Amino acid sequence: MNIKAVKAMRGGTHVPSGTTPVSEPLDGDSACDSGSGSERRSGGHESGTGDSAKGPGRRRAVVAVAVVALLAAAPVVLAPYPVSAMSRMLAFAVLVLSVDLLTGVTGLPALGQAAYFGAGAYTAVLIGIHITSDALVQTLAGLVMGLVAAAVTGWVAVRASGIVFLMLTLAIGESVHQVADTWQAVGASNGLAGMPPITLFGGPPLLAAGFVHWWVLAVAVAVFAAVALVVRSPYGRTLRGIRDNEARMRALGYRPALARYGVFCLAGAVAGAGGALWAQQARFFSPGDMGFEVAALALLSVVIGGPGSLWGPCLGAALVLLVRDNLSASIGGHGPLVLGAVFIAVVFLMPRGLAGLTGARLRGLIAARGARLRKENAS
Amino acid sequence: MATYLVSVLNGLAMGSLLFAIALGLSLVFGMMDVLNLAHGAVYLVGAYVAVALVADGAGVAAFVLAVLAAAVAGAVLGGLLAALTRATAHHLDQALLTLGVALVVGEVLTLAFGTDVHSIAAPEPVGGGVTVLGETYPVYRLLVIGFGIVLAVAVYFLVERSPLGSLIRATVADRAMVAALGVNTGRVLVGVFAAGAALAAVGGVLAGPILGAQPGLDEKVLLLALVVVVIGGLGSVRGALLGAVLIGQVQALGTALLPQYASFLVFAAMALVLLLRPTGLLPARTAVHA
Amino acid sequence: MTPQRVTPLLELRGLTRSYGSLTAVDSVDLALAPGERHALIGPNGAGKSTLFATVAGTLRASGGSVLLSGQDVTSLPEGERARRGMVRTYQHSSLFLDCSVLDNVALAVQRVHRVAHRCDRAARRFRHIDTEARRHLDSVGLLGRAQDMAAALSHGERRQLEVAMVLATEPALVMFDEPTAGMSAAETERFVALMERLPERLTVLIVEHDLDVVFRLAERVTVLHLGKVLASGPPEAIRADEAVQRAYLGSARTEDLFAEAGGER
Repeated sequence: MNIKAVKAMRGGTHVPSGTTPVSEPLDGDSACDSGSGSERRSGGHESGTGDSAKGPGRRRAVVAVAVVALLAAAPVVLAPYPVSAMSRMLAFAVLVLSVDLLTGVTGLPALGQAAYFGAGAYTAVLIGIHITSDALVQTLAGLVMGLVAAAVTGWVAVRASGIVFLMLTLAIGESVHQVADTWQAVGASNGLAGMPPITLFGGPPLLAAGFVHWWVLAVAVAVFAAVALVVRSPYGRTLRGIRDNEARMRALGYRPALARYGVFCLAGAVAGAGGALWAQQARFFSPGDMGFEVAALALLSVVIGGPGSLWGPCLGAALVLLVRDNLSASIGGHGPLVLGAVFIAVVFLMPRGLAGLTGARLRGLIAARGARLRKENAS
Repeated sequence: MATYLVSVLNGLAMGSLLFAIALGLSLVFGMMDVLNLAHGAVYLVGAYVAVALVADGAGVAAFVLAVLAAAVAGAVLGGLLAALTRATAHHLDQALLTLGVALVVGEVLTLAFGTDVHSIAAPEPVGGGVTVLGETYPVYRLLVIGFGIVLAVAVYFLVERSPLGSLIRATVADRAMVAALGVNTGRVLVGVFAAGAALAAVGGVLAGPILGAQPGLDEKVLLLALVVVVIGGLGSVRGALLGAVLIGQVQALGTALLPQYASFLVFAAMALVLLLRPTGLLPARTAVHA
Repeated sequence: MTPQRVTPLLELRGLTRSYGSLTAVDSVDLALAPGERHALIGPNGAGKSTLFATVAGTLRASGGSVLLSGQDVTSLPEGERARRGMVRTYQHSSLFLDCSVLDNVALAVQRVHRVAHRCDRAARRFRHIDTEARRHLDSVGLLGRAQDMAAALSHGERRQLEVAMVLATEPALVMFDEPTAGMSAAETERFVALMERLPERLTVLIVEHDLDVVFRLAERVTVLHLGKVLASGPPEAIRADEAVQRAYLGSARTEDLFAEAGGER
C-alpha cells in the first residue's frame, strides 16, 4: 500500500501540464539543460551522460581532495583523543553509506544495517584475537561476513518495500542484536575485548591513534569510491528506477526483487566493512554497538544528510556521532535525548528533505519552474 | 512431561502479554499505515509505572492502581503520537517521528529510573504458587493467561461484532473507500491509537512481575510485537492473537531448551512464515500490497 | 487482409475476465497479424480497459488464453511478457519522475542489452546504451530535453517519452492505453504523427476514445460491447456496421462520437 500512497502523493505534485509547448523543443531547453544538469550534480544524482558542463564535477573533485587531505592531516595537528573520535566517525560513516545505498538510492528505508555492521565487527575482533592482526585480512573478512549475513537474511526483507521493509529490517536487526547479546561465543552482553592492535603488511603493531586513523580513512575512502561507482553505474540507474516507480520497472521487464536483493547484499558488505573498521579502532565490540539506537542513528544521519547524496549522509554521520559521543558530556550525557528531539524536529522542519526521499524530485520541480519562467521571459 | 507443561504455560502467559501489546501496533498499522516504533517505549512506560507504584508486598489495590495509571499514561502517549503522525502525510516521516519519540521516552525513563534492572513483585494474594501436575507454578502467570483469554474474547466482540468494530475493519480493508463514504475516520484512528497504546502500557504493568523493567526492554518488546504482527498478518486481530500465541510458545520453548538461541528461533519462525505466506498467517487484506 | 498462413503475433482465444458474477470480458477471440495496427473501441463500460489489462497481464484471465507468436503467455506476469516483447503504456503516464529524461529511456535500453546489473563502470562509459537511448529520444522529438528531469515535462511530452521508453524495449507488440486522453488538439495531432512514424514491423494494439485517431491509425478495428466482440474488420466496414451504430447510439446519447466521426468523411 505504500506504493499506492506514494503515488497518490505524487499525483498531487505533478507539474502543471501543457505549459511547455511540444512544438519548440529546442529553444529554451539548452538553457534548462545545463541548469538542471548542475542541479543534479550537486545533489549527487548523476545521470552519467557526460555531456553537461565539466565545471561542477571538477569543483567537486577539488573539494573531495581537500576534505580527504584535511582528514589525513588530522593526526599531525590533533591530540590522540579527537583523532580516534574522527576514526570512529569515519567507520560510522561507512555504516551510514550502506544505509544510504538502500534508503537514499533504492528508496528502501532500512533499520537493520547495524546487524551486518555487528557481523563485520565481531568477525574482525575474532580474527584479531585468534588468527591474525593483519588489518587488511580483518577488513576483508568483515566485509565478506556482512555480505554473507545479508545474503542469508535479506531475502525475507527484499520481497517487501516501503514501511513493511522498514519493519522487516528492524526485526532482522534486533534479532541479530539479541543473538549477539546472549551468545557466549562472542562474549554475550559483555562483548569481545582484548583485540590486539592491528598490523599492516607484516609491519609492527599500529599503536598510535594516527596510524589507525590513516588506515580507517583509506578504507573509508575506498568504500566511498566504490559506492559512488555503483551509484553512477547502470545498476545504480536500475536502483533509482526502483525507487521512483517500481511498477514501471516491472512493466519494462525488470525483476525488482532481484535488484533489491543485490543491493541488500552489497549494503551488507559495506556495513560489514564499516563494522570491521569500528572494531579495529576501538579494539573492542559489544552488542551495544549494534543495537536499535545505532540503526536509528544511521538512518537519522541519512535523513539529515539528504538521502541519495553520498557526501551528505557522511556529514550527517559525523554530526550525529559528535552529538552522541562528544557533546554528550557537555549536555549532561543526554545525547540520545537530543538526537530523539532532532529526529522529531527534522521531520517537521525539513519535510521536503525527508519526504519519500524526493530531494531530487524537488529539484526537478524547481528546474521545471525555472524553465517555464525563462520561456515566459523570453516571449 | 511436567517441564513441557510449565513451558507451555509460560508460553501462554507470554502469548497473552504479546497479544495485548501487539494488538495496538497491528491495528494502527492496518488502519493508517503508521509503523509506531515508539510502541516498545510505551510498554516500558507502563513497566516503570509499576516500578513506581507497586512496592514489594503491595496488595491488589496498588497493582490495580498501577494498571489504571499505566492505561491513562499509555492513552495520553498514544494520543500524542497520533497527533504527531497526523501532522505529516508520508509514512516514512511518520515512522521517523515515532522513532524520535521512542528515543526521547527511553532516555527520559533512564533519567528518572536509572540504568538498574528493576524487578516488580506480583501482588501479595497471588504471589504464591499452585501445584499443577506435580510442578509448582506461579498463580500470577495463570492469571495473566486468564487475562489474555478475557482480552481476546472482548476484542473479538468489539472488533468482529460491534458497529465500531466493523468501521475499524472497513478502514483496515480500504481506508479511501471509508473516507469516501463520508465517515470521519480521524477520531476513530486517534481512538484506536490511544487504546492500542493504553493496552501496551497495561501490558507493561502486567509483564512487570515476569520481565521486570530495565533500559533496552523497549526494543526487545518492540521486536517481539513486530514479529507477532508480521507473522499474524498486518492489521489482523485474529492474526495478532495467533502470532502472539505462536511466538509465546517459541519463546518459552526456546528459553527452556536453547536459551542462547531463543531470539534466533523467533527470527527463524518469522522467516519461515514469511517464506510460506508472505502476507502472514491470517492477513486482514486479501490483496498483497508491496 | 490477414494472410491465414502467418502465425498471428497476438492471438486471444476465448479470453474471459469476470469479477464475481459480472463478466467484464466475455470469451473474446482476436488475432493480430505481425505489423498490424489494430484499434479496440467501444462505448463506456464495454470492457475495453479490462480486456486491455488482461491481455497485458496486469489482470489475471478468468478463462481462455493469450498467445504471443503462438506461445501461450496467459499465466505469465506482466514483466515476463515484457521480456518476451509485449509492452504496454499507461493511461496516466508512468515515468521515473526523479530521473532524467535520458535515464528513463536508458533504463529500458540497458535492460534489453543486459547491462542493467553492471556496476563495474559508470553508466556513461556504456556508450552504446547512451547512443541507443538518444536515438529513441530523437525519434519521438525529445532529444533536446535529454538532461531534464522527467518531472519537468509537460503532459504531451510525457506521453512522447513513454513511447520512447516502450520502443526502447525493442518490442514486437506495443499496447497503447488511451494515449491521447487529456491531450490538447495540437498535442493529439503531434502524437498521431508520431504514431504514424512507428516502425513498420511493429504490431500495435490501441485502445482509444477519439475515433478520429482510431480511423487514422488503425488497419483493423474491433468493437467491444458488453464484454463481447460486436464487430471486427477494416475501418470502413466498421463505420457502416449497423449493430455498431446502435451500440454507440444506445449507450452514448449525449456524445454521439461515432456519427460525428462518420460525418467528417
